[in-house]
Amino acid sequence: MVKGTTIRMWRRSLIALLALVVGGFGTLVYSLVKLQIIQGPDLQMRAAAQQLRDKSLSAKRGTIYDCNMKELAKSATVWDVILAPAVIEEKDRDTIATGLSQILGMDKNEVLERTKKKKSYYEILKTKVESDVRDKILQFEKDHQITSGIDLIENYKRYYPYGKFAATVLGFTGTDSQGLAGVEAQYDSVLTGTNGRLVTAQNAVGKEMGFQYEQEIPAKDGDSLVLTIDEVVQHYVEKYLTEGLANNDVQNRACAIVMNVKTGAILGMAVKGDFDPNNPFVVADSKQAAAIAKITDSKEKSEATQEALNVQWRNKCVSDTYAPGSVFKMVTASAALEENLVTEGTVFPCPGSLTIMGERINDWKTFGSLTFEDGICNSSNVVFMQVGALLGIDRFFKYFNAFGLTEKTGVDLPGESRSIYHPVDQMTALDLAVESFGQSNQITPIQMITACCAVANGGYLVRPHIVEKVVDSGGNIVKTTDASPKRQVISAKTSQRMCAILQKDAMKGTAKSGYIAGYRVAGKTGTSEKRELLPKKEYIASYCGFAPADDPQVAMLVFYDEPHGPNGYYGSPVAGPTFQATMTQILPYLGVEPKYSETELEKLDDKAPDTVGQTVAAAKNTVANAGLTAKVIGGGDKVISQVPEPNKNIPKGGTVVLITDAASAKQTVTVPDMAKLSLSAANEKAAEAGVNISITGAALTSSSAVSAAQDIAAGTKVPPGTVVTVTFSENNQVF
Amino acid sequence: MAAREKARRGAAPESAASVRAKKKFRVFSVRGGMDLPFLFLVLVLVVIGLIMMFSASYANASYYMDDSYFYIKRQAVFAVIGIFVMIVLSYFDYHHFHKFAVPVLVLSIALLGLVLVTPAINGVHRWLRLGPLGQLQPSEVAKFALILLFAHLISLNFSRMNTFRYGVLPYILILAPVCALLIKEPHISATVIVLLLSAIMLFIGGVKLRWFGLGFGLAGSALVYLVRFSGKVEYANWRIAAWLDPFSKASKEIVDKTYQTRQSLYAIGSGGLLGLGLGQSRQKYLYLPEPQNDFIFAIVCEELGFLGALIIIILFAMLVWRGVSISLHAKDKFGMLLGTGLVVQVGLQVVLNIAVVTNTIPNTGISLPFFSYGGTSLVILLAEMGIVLSISRTSSVEKT
Repeated sequence: MVKGTTIRMWRRSLIALLALVVGGFGTLVYSLVKLQIIQGPDLQMRAAAQQLRDKSLSAKRGTIYDCNMKELAKSATVWDVILAPAVIEEKDRDTIATGLSQILGMDKNEVLERTKKKKSYYEILKTKVESDVRDKILQFEKDHQITSGIDLIENYKRYYPYGKFAATVLGFTGTDSQGLAGVEAQYDSVLTGTNGRLVTAQNAVGKEMGFQYEQEIPAKDGDSLVLTIDEVVQHYVEKYLTEGLANNDVQNRACAIVMNVKTGAILGMAVKGDFDPNNPFVVADSKQAAAIAKITDSKEKSEATQEALNVQWRNKCVSDTYAPGSVFKMVTASAALEENLVTEGTVFPCPGSLTIMGERINDWKTFGSLTFEDGICNSSNVVFMQVGALLGIDRFFKYFNAFGLTEKTGVDLPGESRSIYHPVDQMTALDLAVESFGQSNQITPIQMITACCAVANGGYLVRPHIVEKVVDSGGNIVKTTDASPKRQVISAKTSQRMCAILQKDAMKGTAKSGYIAGYRVAGKTGTSEKRELLPKKEYIASYCGFAPADDPQVAMLVFYDEPHGPNGYYGSPVAGPTFQATMTQILPYLGVEPKYSETELEKLDDKAPDTVGQTVAAAKNTVANAGLTAKVIGGGDKVISQVPEPNKNIPKGGTVVLITDAASAKQTVTVPDMAKLSLSAANEKAAEAGVNISITGAALTSSSAVSAAQDIAAGTKVPPGTVVTVTFSENNQVF
Repeated sequence: MAAREKARRGAAPESAASVRAKKKFRVFSVRGGMDLPFLFLVLVLVVIGLIMMFSASYANASYYMDDSYFYIKRQAVFAVIGIFVMIVLSYFDYHHFHKFAVPVLVLSIALLGLVLVTPAINGVHRWLRLGPLGQLQPSEVAKFALILLFAHLISLNFSRMNTFRYGVLPYILILAPVCALLIKEPHISATVIVLLLSAIMLFIGGVKLRWFGLGFGLAGSALVYLVRFSGKVEYANWRIAAWLDPFSKASKEIVDKTYQTRQSLYAIGSGGLLGLGLGQSRQKYLYLPEPQNDFIFAIVCEELGFLGALIIIILFAMLVWRGVSISLHAKDKFGMLLGTGLVVQVGLQVVLNIAVVTNTIPNTGISLPFFSYGGTSLVILLAEMGIVLSISRTSSVEKT
């Protein structure tokens, strides 16, 4: 027997060794390959899921500015309150539940339940709380020495600082700040930006492990929009549209668009019967809200609410189609002039009606005969049926198409509707006749004003747009809207001739309710019969015009859907005053210089001269030199005050009251009721009462106008000589 | 026993070298250089082990002990002591261990008894507190005691190993109380290692194969009975359930109990091919419980990746291979069996530990040699490596 290792020991040792190395170690290598190489990615993800906390960093939504960089919509920082129950210390659970439920106004038991979800790191308690609530929570944490478990994560909330202002244009955002209507929806991807992420590694007890595993992908804030909307213009548009809505008892909302005729930039766009973008889900119309509140059935109620919301959100300017009515005659007329089929002086017989394909179509008046120009100014349907016939179906359709009425305008607002029209191959002579004066075919208001701009601006079809440029968070311009026209549809010459005709219409014709002294307004009224099946005949009253006619700058379309008020349903008395009132404010604001004609100057107000401090005799002289009458009150030697005050408006030939002692300064006179009077009768009544009268409106051009409104109510006690502004209007304006 | 050994020695034909050794008996007899490759492998593993233990324990030490260096400081001190003991023992003539075989076994049985009456740590009686020296696992001593005694007995009775009386019975009589005490702790993994180790030594020692068949058959049936039919061994039962599907969400209990395994698998999987880089483990941040102990290899896999883990496994395999080579070339059967037993013990621990960490076998407490935290255990391990080095000095294996 050998002392050392025997052969069998060698053999058995090697067998054992091989079993250990190959079997044992081999198995280990196999297991590692399986876990690290094959299942590696999966296990890695599972590991990452527990190790990494992925916080979303909210990108700030871009601001919406008006063209003068006033903030119309902006996002402000708010906070999401998140619980991480996994890292809440046991002793703190009740304290946290009590404290947070108080601060956030939540049910304590609910909060307590959620603090007990020990596996969770992310329990959203409340989103979008304001900074003061956040401060309270931070103070609470400090007071109770709570170091972990409550996270406050930055978020943003959308504010519309002007409330209801420009609601339809701006739209609104949903709970996740996603744009749901208006520009907010149209430019949602631009405004949204890209959320960032903060990935931090945490250890098993929820504490962050420090810098080494922190990775931040910063949020990229959304770009901001600079709108073409001008806050001042928009203000007046909304103001007067709201007034008109109330005055005319409008059933189905109203809208108005103000557009730069050369660029298509929308300076103002309003729909009334709109909403507050800060609370878009509240039915804004109080009557409707009250009616809905009365519904008891919950399903019906929610349906009625949804219906009401859909209506108030709808942008009538781009989503509604209507027969433009007589406003459309400016397109037919432009086509006929462009094709040299008529001139201003071409005479058309006007028998009061025409029968086409067996259909008798009436005019609103039997004129006998009218020139082409007077046909427009009197809005004669018979004239336009004949103009349409001269054009013929093909040429009519060619212009209908050229003016962009068969295509969407491409305005950068959501929900633009397509127009509804007879295609050229299906048009009959009857269709042609009716379409020539704007019935039958349905177009959108934005299409109509775009066509009007082409008539006004030398014949160019512009691209209506509401966003002037996109700027990034650093203020750099990302994109500027292309404001070049799409095409020329009529010649500059034809455009000029149309401007002159429409100016005449606004001065003397059916459109004179839109007249503004000095501003050379061109306009056309429209009254469209609604074709839907309605219980009774309903109308849309509209007015479309622009100014100044010699160099058109700005166009405006006003549109009242189903007016039931005392002014009737015709475009001129219903929509004209809104156009006039708005343009009166915005034309000077936009820097359009007034140019008065002789007759206008005669009726314009003067400025009262300054006589205060002069002797009575000198003062009388001053007043007389200004072409005014003086009336002295009191027994003093010197004038201590005067009515109207120096440099205030006073009508030509008006009376300046000179007050010479303190006692007389307290005298008053009573403002008379000046409703439904002719210009001369109103003047007389004012003189009797001892007040001055300033006239506006149709009385400046028309002798048949009657007074419709006064700025100081009848019966008010005022100092003698006070100027009362009286608005005159035509009472029988049609079409 | 000592007398019987003397008789055997006298009877055996002896080589010139051993005659000289016997004549000039010295406690530290340098009879040649030690095996440098083996020494090198041990030192490399100690160094890598320390580095990885530091990395793995860093977060835990910082969080629970307020001192990131808590574990590494202690382990480093023990490593230095261990290396010193190893070098000293490499000069120590391993034949003197013949005399210690029985006393060491008696001591280890005494310790196994003692540990049962000391208070439980983590619910089990596995550790004896040694004050400033940390903790001692009596099972570590028992493993060494058995290797030593088996080497002693087999080398004495080598010619009679094919008989039941000399080849089987004494070993069963020794193993029975040791295993009984280990199971009582309970310490199933140590029991398994002891049994496997004993089986390998007896196998190499020349026991007839049929006894192994019988032994494995009995052990297998006992295991099946314990796990499947005895409700008492709850302890092992859930480990099996957790093993079969560590991601099971069947019950809260399973989810809780598979936590460690799941975290280990996450760590290993996260490592991928190349690893997250030294020190870059994420799972060590309190996810993997006690990453410095039994599950340290999961952190190694996470930080060093598959390639790093493979290199470490190869280093261990080389250590075992080299140890067995040294032993096979040992001058006598005692050295051969002792050396083989010691390195096979290391190999088995490595295989079982990594198998647990990778969920290849059910979770059970086995530490990874040279890596896992544990001062006394490291010193004992290095001392054992010192004995292998001592054997290598007389071994005829090529030593460079």
